[in-house]
Amino acid sequence: MKRIFTARWLGLACVLSLVVVFLGPDLLSLTQAAEKPKLTVWWNKGYYKEEDEGFKKVAEDFARDNNVTMDLTFTIQDDLGPKIISALIARRVPDVAFCFFTDWQIAPKFAWEGKLSDVTDVINDLKPRYIESHLKTAWLYNNVEKKWSYYSIPIEAQALGSHYWKDLVQEAGFDPDPKKIPMTWNEHWAFWKKVQDNLRKKDPVKYGKVFGIGMTSSSRATDTFYNFEQYLLAFRGEILSPDGKVIAHEPKNRDAIIKTLAFFTSIYKEGYVPPDALTWTDADNNVNFNNKTVVMTPNPSISIPGAHFFSNKDNYYNKIGSILQPTSPVDGKGYPYLVSVKPIIIPKDAKEQVLARKFVRYILGTKNFTNYVTASNGRWFPSFKDVAAAPFFHDPKDPHVPVATEQHLKRETRAFYYSYHPAYSQVYTENVWGKAMSRVITENWSNEKAADEAIGRIQTIFASWK
Amino acid sequence: MAQLSSVTPNAERWRKKTLIGLVFCAPLILIFLVLVIYPMLYEIYLGLDRTIYASIFSDPIFIQTLWNTVLFVGLAVNVKMFLALTLSGLFNMDHWLVRILAGVFLLPWAIPSLPGILAFRWMLNGQWGIVNKILTDIGLEGYPWLVRRHTAIGAAIVYHIWKYLPFWTLIFVAARRAIPRDLYEASDIDGAQPLQKFRFITFPMLKSLFMICCLLSMVFTLGDFVIIKIMTGGAPGDSSHVLATLAYRYTFQMGRIDWGVGTFVTALPVTLLFIFILIKKVK
Repeated sequence: MKRIFTARWLGLACVLSLVVVFLGPDLLSLTQAAEKPKLTVWWNKGYYKEEDEGFKKVAEDFARDNNVTMDLTFTIQDDLGPKIISALIARRVPDVAFCFFTDWQIAPKFAWEGKLSDVTDVINDLKPRYIESHLKTAWLYNNVEKKWSYYSIPIEAQALGSHYWKDLVQEAGFDPDPKKIPMTWNEHWAFWKKVQDNLRKKDPVKYGKVFGIGMTSSSRATDTFYNFEQYLLAFRGEILSPDGKVIAHEPKNRDAIIKTLAFFTSIYKEGYVPPDALTWTDADNNVNFNNKTVVMTPNPSISIPGAHFFSNKDNYYNKIGSILQPTSPVDGKGYPYLVSVKPIIIPKDAKEQVLARKFVRYILGTKNFTNYVTASNGRWFPSFKDVAAAPFFHDPKDPHVPVATEQHLKRETRAFYYSYHPAYSQVYTENVWGKAMSRVITENWSNEKAADEAIGRIQTIFASWK
Repeated sequence: MAQLSSVTPNAERWRKKTLIGLVFCAPLILIFLVLVIYPMLYEIYLGLDRTIYASIFSDPIFIQTLWNTVLFVGLAVNVKMFLALTLSGLFNMDHWLVRILAGVFLLPWAIPSLPGILAFRWMLNGQWGIVNKILTDIGLEGYPWLVRRHTAIGAAIVYHIWKYLPFWTLIFVAARRAIPRDLYEASDIDGAQPLQKFRFITFPMLKSLFMICCLLSMVFTLGDFVIIKIMTGGAPGDSSHVLATLAYRYTFQMGRIDWGVGTFVTALPVTLLFIFILIKKVK
């Protein structure tokens, strides 16, 4: 009898402990919820300490003013992207999420799957402040509800610029003034080749491993498709029509794709791009530039000079130059700058929908957001006209930030193709252009064959998105 | 009735014992059900959708990835095991120099994976790596090791062998020491040569263990994600992926959990075959 009694108690104890283990956290959160609401925010870790500290303070102010428990975590983008994707699939989501990869990896696909909250109400409030081309990227298709709407809230953007070491250009015998860098297509690229040749001729030991062009050509880096699609516009090629249909196979566009691919692969094969550029991640052109193993690198933000602002003012103000892109090789005219616009998302399964919206409105207030975005030292350009009007973005003494300002405010800008059709987000994730470059360089495919494979892959991907 | 009453206390005792046993095992059983059985059944359920396979096989890198996996697992495991078996003979010798050498030999196993792989990556860097520096210093041309598919996979295989060889060598050394000495003494009396001793005594005694170790290592290596992810990241042009890294790419970068599952389901028959043989061998 005693043994049965013991066994029963043991069983009960086990069941109770299992209940505590599995339901405890939820019961705890229920009791907390009774006290005050909790807002879970997943935010991309900034590149500078000032960004995170500034944002943390704004979040704390919001929590205090609204009597909210703030659960704010900062994570680097390489980890945060998969984390948000997993959360959306598992439907255990934060209330607010912001990641640098959201615009192309997350928002189009999960808006399509109906897993993002329709944020038209927030957008309508902010609409008068928005730079139009930035806002366009938030207009996404929900395939569950069969409607187009705003499913993300753009906050900041980047566009392709180029940075170079003025002292190396001078060493190669050229005037390093940004106004003196040739800006017509052929002359521009020939210039960087000549810089490399001259440097190596001048001192083969010192400059034997310095390359003229730090062009990312890897399927691991988002910079690769950024560069490729930007220069595809220079060659007057299009992948999609404005209504989201694949037109890459049309002769004019196929020809432009082949020429763009030939441009990338020829500068690599001629030895003007570091061999390892084929394996670079997004950080590696920055690293190579900082190590002065490349003279010039195209980069989709001004993060490169930005990093020097804090560590070496002389480099920032005197030794590094920033320029825009050369004119089109087809007609010598300009072409639109592709803007990669970084948005906030509110998942549809988020528990605190109202509070999340309130928080987003709060952090995007002119003062709060100006403080946040300027702390990134110009790496990101704000999506709001009033913030972009801040003196920080127009300082004539600054050699870099006003270059980005000119791109976003004075030049024609355009959204990436994922805004035309969400299937294109998969094209980006698969990095078809990086793969095509590798086919030509390492497997000796012709540019035509590699271009056709990439076009075929895009068509296959689109066929699967129905 | 008398018969029934004599059975009942036994059955009752058995029932009580089983009940208590089950209660104690309940947490483990529950964890096993939640973390192993449920995900596996869910994976199989997701994997039943045949359209997944059409999609992943239409990806130009999928077949290449399958081949890479066969290469990675086949070469890395077999070469490593052969070397481990051979080197275990050396480390089985009782000499002070061998003892020192054994200590040094174990170091790669003790080094954490991440710094080890990153060190390999730096050494193989086409521009600045020490391997190319040595090659150019002796008048040879450098080679972009991680920029070509075969050498990139080769680098991952070499790292795998470097890292895990000490562990398996240690296992074989222990197994060799368990072989009765009198067998070797008898063979000495018969005038057996070292190779004959290996062929007729050592290998037959180690055969089963060798097989089990090979299968275990194959199962571990098939799921190895870190080496390829850190060493090559799939570059150049996604040509050096293995199934584990490709499944990660599908699931966590593209949000295609079904494709990720499909990738693993493709490898499941091979994995299950290894496990089946393994269990048979252990029995």
